[in-house]
Amino acid sequence: MRESIIRLEGATKRFPLPEGGTITALDAIDLDVARNEFLTLLGPSGCGKTTLLHVISGFVQLDQGKILIDGDDMGTTPPHKRPVNTVFQNYALFPHMSVGDNVGYSLDIAHVGKAERVKRVGEALDLVGLGGYAARMPRQLSGGQQQRVALARAIIARPKLLLLDEPLSALDRNLRQAMQIELKNLQAELGISFIFVTHDQEEALTMSNRVAVLNGGVIQQIDTPRNTYNYPANAFVASFVGASNLFDGEVRRDGDKIVITTPENDTVEAVLRDERSLNGGGKLTAMLRPEQFSLSGTGGADNCAEIDVTVDQIVFIGSTYELLGKTAGGRQINALLSASHQTRIGEIEQSGKARLSYDPAAVHLIPADDAGAAQ
Amino acid sequence: MSWLRKLGDTSLTTYTVLFFAFIYLPIAIIVIYSFNSDPVNMMRWSGFTFDWYKQIFGFSNASSEAALYIESTEQLLAAIRNSLTVAAFTTTIATVIGTATALAIYRYNFFGKRFYRTLMFAPMLMPDIVLGIALLIFFVGVGMPLGIGSIIIGHCTFLISYVFIVVSARLAGMDRTLENASADLGANEWTTFRRVVLPQVMPGVIGGALLAFIISMDDLVITYFISGVGTQTLPLFIFGMLRRGIKPEVNAIAVMMLLFSFTVAALGLYFRSRRR
Ligand SMILES: Nc1ncnc2c1ncn2[C@@H]1O[C@H](COP(=O)(O)OP(=O)(O)O)[C@@H](O)[C@H]1O
Ligand SMILES: [Mg+2]
Repeated sequence: MRESIIRLEGATKRFPLPEGGTITALDAIDLDVARNEFLTLLGPSGCGKTTLLHVISGFVQLDQGKILIDGDDMGTTPPHKRPVNTVFQNYALFPHMSVGDNVGYSLDIAHVGKAERVKRVGEALDLVGLGGYAARMPRQLSGGQQQRVALARAIIARPKLLLLDEPLSALDRNLRQAMQIELKNLQAELGISFIFVTHDQEEALTMSNRVAVLNGGVIQQIDTPRNTYNYPANAFVASFVGASNLFDGEVRRDGDKIVITTPENDTVEAVLRDERSLNGGGKLTAMLRPEQFSLSGTGGADNCAEIDVTVDQIVFIGSTYELLGKTAGGRQINALLSASHQTRIGEIEQSGKARLSYDPAAVHLIPADDAGAAQ
Repeated sequence: MSWLRKLGDTSLTTYTVLFFAFIYLPIAIIVIYSFNSDPVNMMRWSGFTFDWYKQIFGFSNASSEAALYIESTEQLLAAIRNSLTVAAFTTTIATVIGTATALAIYRYNFFGKRFYRTLMFAPMLMPDIVLGIALLIFFVGVGMPLGIGSIIIGHCTFLISYVFIVVSARLAGMDRTLENASADLGANEWTTFRRVVLPQVMPGVIGGALLAFIISMDDLVITYFISGVGTQTLPLFIFGMLRRGIKPEVNAIAVMMLLFSFTVAALGLYFRSRRR
């Protein structure tokens, strides 16, 4: 059975604005993280990610709602009494203490004996690959190393839940990718639940068991990375997680297919799987990922649908070409085309026109209500 | 145009040399002439001697009676003792109150906080004479006898501001998430204060204390108003000496004060450079 380590019920937090009024940083958030789960909070800057972490660690008090950690209602429990540790966005290492003293800080607070402290600090530093660094001062370390110290310091007391606030955002790309893998392995090894905050959708998809997409203080969708990418719940998720082409419009039934006609008279075909998503026949948004397009006549299924575009630009990325163009109705199109059709790509660049095909069965449909609500 | 550049370089060098000479030459002269054996004309070099140093501490009476200038070594020692006593008490009180105020204003939000902060700056900007007269009127008004006690209180009134400003500057540069990190790792407020906040403001506290000590040792104008008749501090004593003409011993005293100030300042710099 899924064992819940933390639960938020209707968590709401408002901050007063200096010019008067309030901003709702968290709006009735429900969240449930299981033991040993790696959950990522993904959202644009200012959407309430840090506030949500602060609510869990106790630095911010909720206006409404409840927070339970391992079944205990936290209410007004102060931060130092919560079984939660945090890796802060700027690391927040104590500059006047050595690496060893930073890592051993929570053990000192818990009055752990000297021999045991030395042993556990050594183990924690080994775990993050910094064995032998105990005597250094934080300022003598690189950004990546400081990040590891912050991690070792946060996990040494074996909290029930580890909160990580954009811990990798200050690292360069290579280091960030290496740390993503290390963090993931570490989480599996320790068996601690992680809530990992990021605004980088790629990071969210590669690392997590589940992704919670947050916008404007509201959770838009909580699901596995695959489902979040393939079946976004609304237009915001569709465009924030990965690139997408969205066509919102009137739905018309055509046998076992349906056709969506945008206000600009572009049409997209799709296969209807669930009658309910028709919403009584009104409006829908069809989503096509850039990689779902291919050039017409370069193979693919027989029952493909097609769309004509005028080409603005073709960008060589390496393994693929990115085509940026417009439909007849003027809607932006973003398509990834296989680099194995060099000559065709050349022709398209010459003529400035392309016919793209896609599989109607792969088109994801987003109910109009949600799509509208998110915009 | 190389001659023009050369001229520029030369004049810049000359200017720099003159600038430093202007600042340090008088001090160097005092140091040199404190070892001059000529008892009458201070500016005429007539041989090397330690006499003036011996004399101010009463170890020798080599010079003639006419040149004898410090009537009693006891007076000088009493003045030094008074100055050290005042400075010690003032430094302690000003450091504790100044630091506590800075911490309170940093830590808590309360009504009138900004006004309070401004108020803490005021004594620094007030002219010494005004402060001296005001304090004198106050002490006389409340019937407090003038002496060591009144000097200590008087010095505290403006030295608290100095400590407050030095410590506040240190606090302003402090990262507040460090306190969150400490709490997050299980430390209560007192432990966080003791293990995270205090060690980081300590260089500021020590710097403020040394500053307060030196200013207290050095203050003449305010002390002049509030010392009363019986009590003399070192600056008052030297000022009194000068009114009866400049005699060689004053050089020796000046050199020793200089040494003392340098030592305190060096200590201050040492503590600042540590834990950065
Ligand atoms: N202490 C605060 N006082 C006022 N507004 C705040 C405070 N903390 C956060 N906010 C506001 O709440 C919103 C969410 O902030 P935050 O949780 O820091 O976002 P994120 O971490 O996702 O970038 C922002 O609009 C921010 O301005
Ligand atoms: Mg944030």
